[in-house]
Order: sequence, then C-alpha cells, then structure tokens
Amino acid sequence: MKNLLEKFFGKSAKGIAVEGKLMTGYAEVAGREVCVFGTCDGTYIDNAAALRLAAHVIDCIENHRKSPIVMLVDSAGQEPNRTAEMLGLASYFGHLLSCLQLARQNGHKLITVATGKAIGGAFICYGMFGDRIDALDSASVGLMPIEAMSAVTKIPASTLEKLSKTMPSLEFGAKPFALLGGVEEVWSEKDDFATKLASAIASATTDDNRAALGKKRGGRKLALDVRNRVLAETAK
Amino acid sequence: MSCSNLFHEQTARQRIASLVDPGSFTEFLPPPARVMSPYLPQLDIPVSFDDGIVIGRAKLGGTPLYLAAQVGQFVGGAVGEVHGAKLTGIIKASARDSIPCVFIAESGGVRLHEGSSGEIAISEAMRAVFECRAKRVPTIAVIGADIGAYGGMGILSTCCDFRIMTEHGRLGISGPIVIEKWMGKQAYDSSNRALVWKTSGGKTKFLLGDADLLADDDAASVGAAIKKLLSKSAPLTIKSVKARQQELEKRLKTFGKTTDPDAIWKVLGIKNVAEASLATATEFTALAKRK
Repeated sequence: MKNLLEKFFGKSAKGIAVEGKLMTGYAEVAGREVCVFGTCDGTYIDNAAALRLAAHVIDCIENHRKSPIVMLVDSAGQEPNRTAEMLGLASYFGHLLSCLQLARQNGHKLITVATGKAIGGAFICYGMFGDRIDALDSASVGLMPIEAMSAVTKIPASTLEKLSKTMPSLEFGAKPFALLGGVEEVWSEKDDFATKLASAIASATTDDNRAALGKKRGGRKLALDVRNRVLAETAK
Repeated sequence: MSCSNLFHEQTARQRIASLVDPGSFTEFLPPPARVMSPYLPQLDIPVSFDDGIVIGRAKLGGTPLYLAAQVGQFVGGAVGEVHGAKLTGIIKASARDSIPCVFIAESGGVRLHEGSSGEIAISEAMRAVFECRAKRVPTIAVIGADIGAYGGMGILSTCCDFRIMTEHGRLGISGPIVIEKWMGKQAYDSSNRALVWKTSGGKTKFLLGDADLLADDDAASVGAAIKKLLSKSAPLTIKSVKARQQELEKRLKTFGKTTDPDAIWKVLGIKNVAEASLATATEFTALAKRK
C-alpha cells in the first residue's frame, strides 16, 4: 500500500494513515494540499468504516478549506450482514455521500481513482460520487464479474461473455466502464500517477458528464437522450 | 382505515392515482412512447413499454410535484439504463423547476441483466437528488411495498431529504437471501418473514430514525405524510452532518453487538413488542421514543 501511495503523493504520502484496511490523511499534489481517504486490499465497507471515512470528510470541510478530496477505491462491496442491515447500513452510506455533497457545495473538488476492486455498493457509496473518476487499467471496476452475474441471473456465462463483446455494460473492468462514461480516463501502470492526479484535479468540474461521455464513447447510448427527452417534455 | 386500497398491493399507476388530486397526473414517456430497454431482447427477456418506472407531474392538495414510481412486477423494479435515465430526468426536472420530487420506491436495486449501466444510472440519479437538495427542493422517498428499496435504491433513498415508510416497506442494501447465503441460515433465515421485517421493515427503520414518518398501508395515510413534508427540506450544513455523524456513532455503539431486533425496539421505547407489531402507524408513532 505504501508504494502505491508514494506513487500518487511522493514523500507527502507519510501524511496518510493506513489503519486496518482504511486510509485517511492529508498529502500534497503538485505542491498543494489534498485530503485523501480510501480503502485497500479489496476490503468490505461496513457501518464503522463508512463513519470513519465520513468523519474524515467532515474534518476536511471544517479544517482544510477547499482542499481537493482524493478518494482511492479498493473494495469488493458491502459485507452482507444482518446486524449491519438492521442498523441501517444504507443510512451510513447515505451519510458518507451527504458529507461528500456538503464538501462539494463548499468548493472541494472530489477526485476518484479506482486502484483495485471498485465493485457494486462499495463503489456507489463514495467513489462513483466523484466529480472526476479515473481508474488504473488493472482495477476491477463494475457491477459484478460475469460468473457472478450468471449465477444470479441463471443466464449461461458463455452467453453473457459473448454478448459482452458488443455490450460493454456486461463486461467487467476499467476499460468497459470507461466506455459507459463511468470512468473518465484509464491510467496505465507506466503513467506518472502524481502528474495524472494533478491534471485530474485541475480538470474536474461539478457537472456530471457521465451520460454524455457514455453516448460519445458508444457504450451507453440511451441514457443521455432519454434524460433529455424527459427534461424537454417536462418543460412544455 | 379503508381496506379497499392497500398501498403495498397497488401497482405503481394505482398508487399514483390514489395519492394525487383527481385528474392531475400527466405521465411522461408513457408506455405508448415505447421507451424500452435495448439489453433485455438480446438476453431473450421480455421488455416492458415503460421499462418498469412511471414518471410524471401531478398535484397533491393543490401543490405541484414530480413523481416517479417503480413497477415491482417488472424484474423486481430493478434499475436499467432507460429506467434510471427516466428517474434521473424527472429528478433533474424537479431541480430545474424547483418543484418537489416524490419517489415511490419498489426495487431490488440495479438490474443485473444490464450490468454496470444500471449501476451508473443509480449514481447519476443520486447526483440529481443532491442537485435538488443543494437548491432546497424537497426530495421524498416513499417506501411502502414488500420489495422495498434495496441495493443502490436503498442507498439512493437515504440520500433524499425525507423517507416515508409503511410497515410493509423495507429499506436496506443486501437482501435476506444474499445474507443467508453469506452468513448461513442460522444467522439469517430468509424465510422467517417476521425477522426479515424486524431487520429492515418500516417500523424498525422509523424507531431508528431512518424513516422520518411512518404511514399506514393506504394511500390516504401516505398522502397525508407527503403533505406534511412537501414544504420542508433538510439542507446539508456542517451542523446537520455532524449531528448525523454523532447519531450514527451512538447507534453503532449502542446496538453494534446486538443481533436481536426486539432489543432495539425495547431500548427505543417499545415495552410490549408483540402488541406494537400489530399497532397502526399512529399508535406506533406515539409509542416510539425517537433519538
């Protein structure tokens, strides 16, 4: 983990504490302070983890005015657990998202880099909320792998595999997710992460451009048009 | 309470019709428009002409509102690309026109057959909800169907200003069958309906504070709850998120080691659990010791 953080933040990575499978802290990108938090080793996010991350976002809003927030994602999902559900895991995730929204409203840019697993609920509960979302090409990004999808839908994996060639939505990975517009840019391991991150921060805007990007890249052709049709009809 | 129109038994269009002022509803992209999933035919799965969601504009007690209602009968109300785009569109219309948005949930979450497109669609709807909230346009989730709001839809519901639930509604992320597979039948028997509803149902969520209002299982009661909230919003401020942080920390500290939902009920003011299980929304609300 330390190596990866150094690739992003150089020496300033020492400002990021890794406790358990969660990291929180402050570092520097291109000489400017950034708030950093995230998950590692594909860990599952539970109620306590969501609270810890939310507390860090609150600290950033209160004490680090307008610092960009960098979210690193390596999480396989939420752990299916009855007590977690009983206590309202969804509300804990909603709270984390609300904190991020408040940060956005207060002028913090939100940058996401999917570094490992970025799957289902674990990606929705913070990473997908970024203003700008990038991913390493080695990252496992998506709803679920084809085998898991096959097990739940009872559609043979071979059928899904074949269809995924023309339907990137069914494919699993950073590149197909980028075709859908869900990831802006896919980074290669050879890239200079610090430079990439600096330009991601510089170019991020608060507009959600994912549907437009999905249409442009051809992976998600209808989302933008259907939304715009609704907006046009409701304006009449 | 009249028993002719049980909210949880109604279809999406019946729910809307019984909630809003008579004749005030206009549907956008209705079934005749044939705006459908491009994915399902390729998987030999039947399509639905509305892709499982009804969106429109209506009035409630004279107040204009935008509405979205999911159709649980069609692939469990799951969110695909088109379904999600209709939802995002109507929420964005709310933000643009400063008209409250009421969202009647009935969904297991992302439509697996459409893979990551449905996942991104829910995330886009979330951004739209927060666009409303930033402008203090009220967003209200109504959860009163057995399917409830699960997965990404559960999370989306918790992003709204307010949640109204009935005792039939369920709010969560992982459903009971998934948890049973993961933890074993001894830890969670998904066929134990009482336990499932005590874990994720409206009454427990109301006690914990995750549902703002508890309504009875009929449109009149749900409608009255919506009216109470239509002119309100819950703006995000540093004060409000810090208070919520404390509340959720306290909840986890108090109940984090509990597996018995009855214990939660008791701590939160319910002395007679069996009796309270049968109580109406009004009776239950009076019993609950919130916060």
